[in-house]
Amino acid sequence: MQKQSLNHEDLQKDIFIVVPAFNEERTVTKVVTELCQMKYMVVVVNDGSHDKTYPIVKKLQKKYPQQISVYSHPINRGLGAALKTGMEASLRKGAKYIVTFDADCQHDPNDIDNVCEPLKRDEADVVLGDRNFDDMPLTKKLSNQIMNFITLIFYGVKVNDSQSGLRAFNIKATTLLEINSRGYGVSSEIVREIKKNHLRLAEVPIKTIYTPYSIAKGTNASVGLQILVKMIIDILKKI
Amino acid sequence: MIIYQYIGLIIGILAMIIVILRFREGKTSSGMLIFWIVLWLLIIGASLFPDTTSIFANLFGIGRGLDLILILGLIGSFYLIFKLYTMIEKLEMEITELVRQIALNQETNEPSEEDNTDKEYN
Repeated sequence: MQKQSLNHEDLQKDIFIVVPAFNEERTVTKVVTELCQMKYMVVVVNDGSHDKTYPIVKKLQKKYPQQISVYSHPINRGLGAALKTGMEASLRKGAKYIVTFDADCQHDPNDIDNVCEPLKRDEADVVLGDRNFDDMPLTKKLSNQIMNFITLIFYGVKVNDSQSGLRAFNIKATTLLEINSRGYGVSSEIVREIKKNHLRLAEVPIKTIYTPYSIAKGTNASVGLQILVKMIIDILKKI
Repeated sequence: MIIYQYIGLIIGILAMIIVILRFREGKTSSGMLIFWIVLWLLIIGASLFPDTTSIFANLFGIGRGLDLILILGLIGSFYLIFKLYTMIEKLEMEITELVRQIALNQETNEPSEEDNTDKEYN
């Protein structure tokens, strides 16, 4: 296995980091550069951003041509759609492990090794990064707990952090996942797919870096409500 | 005849003409043509002979003919909304897939620096 230190020269060619980016011009440089410096392969999916995200990433690609691939949705299709594009692209490029990583600087790149570890040891097919809810602002903490509860009721899976943006998948899991939701509902959908396909799930504690910027993004109460409505409709459709 | 019967008759006939014209232009399928013709004939029938609706209403155990029409109309509308919802969902999914394929293909067509560097190393 390759050495995991920051200094090694070899690229980690089997670990692909999928970074979905929608209007992330302020943070995307930092996130992608850090990932490149850690020698990971990076797949950036620009999800129809209106700001300078795409040119910024293109510029970064010139700096790290071997590591960065950029895919651009002509129009915004949501987090779920962007993740699926990134995962499909990673598979085509020969990824062995695929990690999803938010572009808003809330994850610590050092956690990637931790979430990949159970996959490498073949103990799990999917690893979810488990954020510490005690570090979260109250509204975030509450909405995330509600989402966990909803995921438990609707899909019958108890997870510590259903809405985490840092996840890792092996090839088997990636090919089995059927992701239909386009928006933030994708996180709960992944949990559903894990159960449906009897994939082995592991949860690894990760660090979360909260900045005013990352707090404004992601799951809040209203997004939570939207996901709930969507889940009910999905179930109604199956009846 | 009371005034609403005339209105029902006129609207029904006009609607049928529109449906037939649309069918001739190829904008409506034959299935939809039959569906709309039958529906509008029923509406014309119900406005010309309002008492017949009561017979059907009694069959379903509903007191008045008008109530039956209202109930059927409501159920029909809900069904239509649901149909539209699933149709839009399907369209959205197809758009997403289209966008995905565009994104994936663009990357492969674009002669990126990655390819050049690979060549240099080879």
